[in-house]
Amino acid sequence: MTKADPIALEAAVWAALAEVRDPEIPPVSITDLGIVERVIVSDDTVDVELLPTFVGCPALDVIREDAEHAGRAASDGRDVRVRFVYSPPWTSDRITPAGREALRSYGLTPPGHGAVFVPLASLGSRDAPPVPCPFCGGTDTELESAFGPTLCRSTHFCRSCRNPFEAFKPKQAKG
Amino acid sequence: MADPRLGLLFALGDDELVLGHRHSEWTGWAPHIEEDLAFSSIAQDEMAHARLLYGLAREIDGRGEDELALGRQPDEYRNAVLCERPNRDWGYSIARQYLYDTADAVRLEALAESSWRELADVVAVIRLEEKYHLDHARAWFTRLADGPLEARQHFAEGLSAALGEAVGLFEPLPDESSLVKDGVLSASNEDLLGRWLGRLGAELEDASIDYVLERHSQAREMVPTSAGEIPAEEDVLAVPGIARRDGRWVHEGEFAGAGGRHGRHSEDFLPLWEEMTKLHREHPGATW
Repeated sequence: MTKADPIALEAAVWAALAEVRDPEIPPVSITDLGIVERVIVSDDTVDVELLPTFVGCPALDVIREDAEHAGRAASDGRDVRVRFVYSPPWTSDRITPAGREALRSYGLTPPGHGAVFVPLASLGSRDAPPVPCPFCGGTDTELESAFGPTLCRSTHFCRSCRNPFEAFKPKQAKG
Repeated sequence: MADPRLGLLFALGDDELVLGHRHSEWTGWAPHIEEDLAFSSIAQDEMAHARLLYGLAREIDGRGEDELALGRQPDEYRNAVLCERPNRDWGYSIARQYLYDTADAVRLEALAESSWRELADVVAVIRLEEKYHLDHARAWFTRLADGPLEARQHFAEGLSAALGEAVGLFEPLPDESSLVKDGVLSASNEDLLGRWLGRLGAELEDASIDYVLERHSQAREMVPTSAGEIPAEEDVLAVPGIARRDGRWVHEGEFAGAGGRHGRHSEDFLPLWEEMTKLHREHPGATW
């Protein structure tokens, strides 16, 4: 059996991983979240290195299993090993423009205001940049809690369209 | 414990695990649902951080993460006594979280510079998440410190109760000098304690909480004397291990609340350990 070209195979594994969804945010793929750090193809194995978003997230085990499954289907019989690594740290700047749009479509305001980490204690203050509403785009919103239904979400209220909404929490080194 | 790095990892990991366990006890009982979620989420983070640290310990110790988290004997746990104390009330819980997370920020800052690459990497990840804990602690600090007398009093009482034992977070580790020499620890715990006390003193002073701590350990009814004076309460701050020198807080005397880094715990630890490890002990090898 001829082994596939490693470069083509690496691309095929990336494409397969792009179909793996975050189980808690189905419209977003793990490549758009910026979780996939490296795919390393050798003669007999494919190693996939993932970065955890929030390390206590219970979805991580599911993501690893799904990534293993997807990788195996694309790896031409090679052994697929998926593991989490901690360098570099995942930050919300790794989310792609497509990923940000997918978050918004799911009713979650994407994180980040440029490169500056916004401490959530001040998110509710007048000086803090507004977290726009994912439904109406309004910026007259208030922080309800920095701790929402999952580790990566905060809860807010929009005074314009009077909807409660959630945002994906920024995670950045600066600030 | 031959490798001193284990003493460091167990100190850090056990602090997170045991305080995380206490935080989780607020689940369902916090004053309102947002705080229920906040303490539950912080607990979830802390346990995940402990797991990362046990993952490093595993490479040295040989035992797996579950075995390290739940399979050790009580005197093998190296958390500071502060972390094992019951939640008491909201004022104490918030004061303890504030003291712990400001202290944790100081030591993580130093550990990010560690010569031990794997530890520095894990610490970089942990620090990004601890910012949210610090924000939570600071939001409550401001709310209570700027609040009415009763709120300030309640918070000051929590601080008084927790402050002495918080010093124990910086109790020197077994064979700490070799950790410092190798650059695993970029500063000694004594140095870190000094840094923390400097920042803490400034924050409490800015919020005038040090005054509440120092002069009004108990709010009493003020009764003017016949001369029209209001007798001042002069309960001077007496926190073991901490003294005021030239208006600054410094470490002085013994390490208050010490013992944890050597496996010596308070009477509150055993009941916590029994509950935390019960399932693991009764069903060895059980997994989710």
